[in-house]
Amino acid sequence: MSDAHLVLEALEKRFGAGPPAVAALSLAVQKGELLGLLGPSGCGKTTTLRMIGGLAEATAGRILVAGHDVTTLPPHKRDMGIVFQNYALFPHMDVAGNVAFGLEMRKQSRAEIAAKVERALAMVHLDGLGHRRPRELSGGQQQRVALARALVIEPSILLLDEPLSNLDAKLREEMRTEIRDIQKRLGITTIFVTHDQVEALAMCDRIAVMRAGSLEQLGTPFDIYESPATPFVADFVGRINRLDGARDGDGDILAGPLRLRAAKPGPAGRVTVMMRPHRLHIATDAIGPEWNSAAGTIRRATYVGDVLACEVDCAGAMLTVERHTHPGQPIPREGEAVNLAWRVSDTLAFDA
Amino acid sequence: MGKALFHVLVAAMLVFLLAPVLLVIPMSFSADKVLAWPPSGFSLKWYAAMLEERGLAEAARNSLVLALVVTTATLAIAMPAALAIDRWRFAGRDAILALLTAPLLLPTIVLALALLIIFVGAGLLGTWPGLVLAHMLVTLPYGVRVLSTSLSTLPASVEEAAASLGAPPSSVFRRVTLPLMVPGLVATCAIVFLVSFDEVVISLFIVGPQLVTLPVALFRYVESRTDPLVAAVSTLLVVFTLAIVLILDRAVGLRRAVGK
Ligand SMILES: Nc1ncnc2c1ncn2[C@@H]1O[C@H](COP(=O)(O)OP(=O)(O)O)[C@@H](O)[C@H]1O
Ligand SMILES: [Mg+2]
Repeated sequence: MSDAHLVLEALEKRFGAGPPAVAALSLAVQKGELLGLLGPSGCGKTTTLRMIGGLAEATAGRILVAGHDVTTLPPHKRDMGIVFQNYALFPHMDVAGNVAFGLEMRKQSRAEIAAKVERALAMVHLDGLGHRRPRELSGGQQQRVALARALVIEPSILLLDEPLSNLDAKLREEMRTEIRDIQKRLGITTIFVTHDQVEALAMCDRIAVMRAGSLEQLGTPFDIYESPATPFVADFVGRINRLDGARDGDGDILAGPLRLRAAKPGPAGRVTVMMRPHRLHIATDAIGPEWNSAAGTIRRATYVGDVLACEVDCAGAMLTVERHTHPGQPIPREGEAVNLAWRVSDTLAFDA
Repeated sequence: MGKALFHVLVAAMLVFLLAPVLLVIPMSFSADKVLAWPPSGFSLKWYAAMLEERGLAEAARNSLVLALVVTTATLAIAMPAALAIDRWRFAGRDAILALLTAPLLLPTIVLALALLIIFVGAGLLGTWPGLVLAHMLVTLPYGVRVLSTSLSTLPASVEEAAASLGAPPSSVFRRVTLPLMVPGLVATCAIVFLVSFDEVVISLFIVGPQLVTLPVALFRYVESRTDPLVAAVSTLLVVFTLAIVLILDRAVGLRRAVGK
């Protein structure tokens, strides 16, 4: 990791007494990488971002950019572009003035500034809106101005704090791809804070899942989703079934009425078993040795157009099954008896 | 029904609040020798008489100069104080804020007496510095309060954004904080100016034979005479005050609409 562009070393932030908001956080971000900071509200994502940007002082640890210690550098010397959750546009300047601000601080010539502002606005599809005031723009347009303002200074690192959370669902998806495209094209090292797992999975090269100020898991979207390190991560990055049980000496897991096998072996003792609902199937006949199975009764079937979710009572253990809908397939009735099956490799077990 | 009642109540309250002020205006055009309602006839003679009153004109000029000096000095102190109170969580912050507000809660007459006692010893009675100091005792709390309220509504993230874009603290203040504070500053100026221009209780104790303010001069005038001249002066004061408020409102509104 010696070539990492941004390194956090045992970063900590305390606000007064009590547990720290961020504790012993260590991360290395590669040049041009888009790293997501994912976690529930209040887990310390914004605080981490603010420490990287120099807006909050770290109470312990170090921040290195390209090998240089910037831990105590004030924000105006860090050369980082920040997009705030509320955009924080300058209300007394027009759009062009907002975007030009960082260039003016860098004492660039008028002609140079005008050209760059125009290019930056074109990049975020705001050509011709340079004379509007921020309050005359929609949320999505304000978000683009904030992005253009942060990018036009060609910062060494881009910090985004839930930049899409104030947008409606459709616009949010559009902006996801747009931000990702721009970020890739400019090859700019980026930290993307979000509490939305879909956003993180869709956009990031790697995701750091945070919980109560600490790093819970660092990995690619695939790793995080398919091989969660803890029940917390498994639960946070997607819907999941959860059963508590115990592993015996043979490696079999007894969870209530069910006898299961898990993807990875482990020692005997208490375990938590988790399966994603869409990896469970209402079985026909394809049961083999690499499958777990359970018999149950449908308690509830919820049809939401593209997905059908069934809650199945397997002798007391409630499991949710999801499948895509087809016009030919009937919707199961409540009270219907079914067999469930899922692959052993889709069965995650965590030692309690 | 409930709405109609509400409107009637609001109208009644406005009449109650404004009636004395509105009464003064017709009275200033009275042709009578004494203040009486209703006037038996109308004329402009009291406006003419007002211009003849040397003492009042002199006092008006004093009040104007005093209010301008007090406003400037108050702003010079209240601005850094409000910034410090809003931005830094220093020890004794609440105590300082309470201390700055205390003069607003004390009976003015107590303040006036205290100032009288101190100023006698310090030789400040009837002097410009004495009057400025005394007025600032009243205007500073207003200034700090109004300014720190306007600062607290200013989102910190806007300044942080400026800093992250490479602006050192001085540039952040000049390019972002100050422009965004303009409405608050204008409001502070207007309030402080009017409070000083209007101040009578403390001034009564502090003024001297050579240095009298307009409210004090008016107060003394009505003690010895009861002609409608004071109504004429009062009408001008109402117009003057309204003009200040309107001009400032325009200035702030215009700035918001047009200026950078
Ligand atoms: N300025 C502050 N003063 C005191 N506590 C704070 C401050 N900022 C954040 N915190 C606390 O730190 C924790 C992490 O907050 P934050 O980083 O904003 O979380 P997130 O962005 O993940 O929602 C929270 O418990 C929050 O209450
Ligand atoms: Mg946050």
